[in-house]
Amino acid sequence: MGMGLVAAAPKERQVESAPAFGPVTPGEWGAGAPSHRSETGEWAIDLRNVDKMYRGKVHALRGIEMRVKKGEVFGLLGPNGAGKSTLVKILMTVIAPTRAEGTMLGQPVGHKPTLARVGYLPEHHKFPEYLTGAQVVEFYAALAGVDRATRKKRTPELLELVGMKDWGNKKVGGYSKGMRQRVGIAQALGTNPDLVVLDEPTDGVDPVGRREIREMLTRIKEEGRTVFLNSHLLSELEMVCDRVAILVQGKVKSQGTIEELTVKRQVYEIEVAALGADGVEGLVAALEGKQAARMLAGRVEAAPLGSAAGVNIAKRVGIRGQLASGEEVEVDHGTVRIATVDAERIQPTLDALRGAAYVIKSVKANRPSLEDLFMEAVTDPETGKALGPGAKKEGGAK
Amino acid sequence: MTSTWALVLDAYRDLNSKKLFWITLVISGLIVLAFAAIGVNEQGVTLLHWQISDFGGTVTSDTIPPAMLYKSIFSNFGIAFWLAWGASILALISTAGLIPSFVQGGAVELVLSKPITRVRLFLTKFACGLLFTTLQVAVFTFACFLVIGLRGKSWEPSVFLAIPLVVIFFSYLYSICALIGLVTRSTIAALLLTLLAWFGLFLVNFGDAAMIGMREAAKTNVENLEKSVARHERFATRQWEQLWLTRNTKDLPDGAPKPTPPKPPVAELDEAVPTLRDERRKLAEQQQMAQRMELFATAAVGLKTVLPKTGETIDLLSRTLRDRMNLPGDDSDTETSNESQPPDQARTVNFWNQRDPEESRKLQQRIDGEFKKRSVWWVLGTSLLFEAVILAIACIVFVRRDF
Ligand SMILES: Nc1ncnc2c1ncn2[C@@H]1O[C@H](COP(=O)(O)OP(=O)(O)O)[C@@H](O)[C@H]1O
Ligand SMILES: [Mg+2]
Repeated sequence: MGMGLVAAAPKERQVESAPAFGPVTPGEWGAGAPSHRSETGEWAIDLRNVDKMYRGKVHALRGIEMRVKKGEVFGLLGPNGAGKSTLVKILMTVIAPTRAEGTMLGQPVGHKPTLARVGYLPEHHKFPEYLTGAQVVEFYAALAGVDRATRKKRTPELLELVGMKDWGNKKVGGYSKGMRQRVGIAQALGTNPDLVVLDEPTDGVDPVGRREIREMLTRIKEEGRTVFLNSHLLSELEMVCDRVAILVQGKVKSQGTIEELTVKRQVYEIEVAALGADGVEGLVAALEGKQAARMLAGRVEAAPLGSAAGVNIAKRVGIRGQLASGEEVEVDHGTVRIATVDAERIQPTLDALRGAAYVIKSVKANRPSLEDLFMEAVTDPETGKALGPGAKKEGGAK
Repeated sequence: MTSTWALVLDAYRDLNSKKLFWITLVISGLIVLAFAAIGVNEQGVTLLHWQISDFGGTVTSDTIPPAMLYKSIFSNFGIAFWLAWGASILALISTAGLIPSFVQGGAVELVLSKPITRVRLFLTKFACGLLFTTLQVAVFTFACFLVIGLRGKSWEPSVFLAIPLVVIFFSYLYSICALIGLVTRSTIAALLLTLLAWFGLFLVNFGDAAMIGMREAAKTNVENLEKSVARHERFATRQWEQLWLTRNTKDLPDGAPKPTPPKPPVAELDEAVPTLRDERRKLAEQQQMAQRMELFATAAVGLKTVLPKTGETIDLLSRTLRDRMNLPGDDSDTETSNESQPPDQARTVNFWNQRDPEESRKLQQRIDGEFKKRSVWWVLGTSLLFEAVILAIACIVFVRRDF
């Protein structure tokens, strides 16, 4: 089933052969990329090797590889300081990349005329307070070269779309945060763009407003535009994004549809009723005997993060190993977890357990939520602690 | 074009929201009204319909015709005082914020993300600042043109020369203001540092004038002393020769040809007229002084060549207007030469403290002559070059910055 999804998008290479437990090793997914030229028609954004070293020697982006399909809502997810805004600003030519290969709307990154076809809502934007909402929409459209007649026609429509029709003639200085955000979205659409780049569009907006913004995004997508969205709010992305990328400390940890990202992390949990006198060792022996599974010795310390954040899959507790058929397995007290999406693959294990006279209490297929993936991505595999916010300073501990 | 117009409109809205643009315009208007209220008739100066004073009979419509009065007020007060100082400071205050508010975080990202190159963005913003100053100057000048025409009955299109020259003058300062505003992103810093730079330019200008003045004073002294030394020498030589002749002819028989006296030895001349030695010493001193001042003046001129010439740009305007409008300048050409013996000592003039009005008038003439030698192209060209360099630096800073 997971394979089927992958086959549907063969060029994307989102599915990685990453270990199910523990974070994904970055940089693997890009191997064997097909010729990029043949793809330019399909991708709204196609980035390779985007690097940014700020003047203060902050290495904010370290070789970003990312593709956004035309017509989709793409979410860029990452903790504060991951480099999301930095990436967006490079796309919008607000900052210069240290290195950037790739295209946006078929033109190389940094190509100014292309920006007429891109709408942008910056993070922490401050519109001139002396402008009214309508003037904001018109002003930025005019800067992109939209003629007066078109501006006059589009502005009321856009204000209507974002629910600001009655406020269009009031000064921005008197707007609430949520209203500014709405006007900002209207402004981003002022040029009738093919691609809309929104940096934290729901920042500072109340839950009702967020829902409305999500609906706006869906409408924008229905108009045939590509939406590139930037957020640290997971639930938001889960609800609207077709595909997401998880950015941590300047690197893309994983990307794909939420389905793909979660399905490949699916785990079957087999819970036995009671452990025998040998405890966990008995369980391991049963697996090793009948299954020829290779279990690694030693117990991994319980990860504090796992229990605290309610992550039920990334708990690094118990004994890990590999089944003869290749699946990763983990034995944790009375639970055996097998990383697979294929129910058939767990049958030999069930047989082995039953053969050793264990009573199977439950078998569950467990899929991580986006939040689980996110927490996993931001967890340092060595310490089990969440990676600190922000990029590391160059020359500091690597 | 759409985008340029949008930027201009935005700059207008920005200035409009700060009210200062209008305040400046209102003050300009009041000054013009006051200008129009002043008049002159047979009895003297009037304000509206009140007779004020005739300044002891020196200022009536007979001595100063109304046209002359208005023109000279415009050129002496309107330009030199209001446009070059008051209005420029107000224009700086009202436009200093344009660039800082433009590059403010949160506001600049959207503008940069538009399909306009950064150089064009920056230069357009800079031009907007100048444009609104131009409007101010134009309104004021036009109003003054009307006052001179209606009240002075003299239509003088040359007053409009004030618009380009004052704007050029302002643009030197505004380029500095724009660069500082861009680098510091602070209106206050841009304003204060620009005023400081302006003051610095004023000092350089002052230093230059002082150096030239002292050099010319020293040169005048050298010339005077040279003449005086020559005079003394002649006088001493005559004295010495008479002495020599009386000494050498008393024994000669009558009718014998008079022997020509030999060239007198310098030491004996000095002995004959003791002040000659003093004059020689003073001459040597002044020659040394002139040399030193020449060095300083050259350094000052060199420094000025690379800096904008604010003072001289305005002087250029005032001078041109005086010429065009046939106003009496401050230079009259009355050369007087009084060759008076016996040799009194040459008066050495001091640039700072000239007691002799005749000497100081001559000195002033020489100094003015020196400044007149500076061509329009030197004054405007090198200043505009300075401005171009500042703008180029600002463009580079703007293009390279990560916002
Ligand atoms: N102008 C800048 N100069 C230096 N460092 C910066 C600058 N902007 C951002 N950074 C650093 O780059 C990293 C990424 O920042 P940012 O892209 O804003 O993260 P995000 O949007 O994901 O929260 C952070 O460590 C931040 O401190
Ligand atoms: Mg951000």
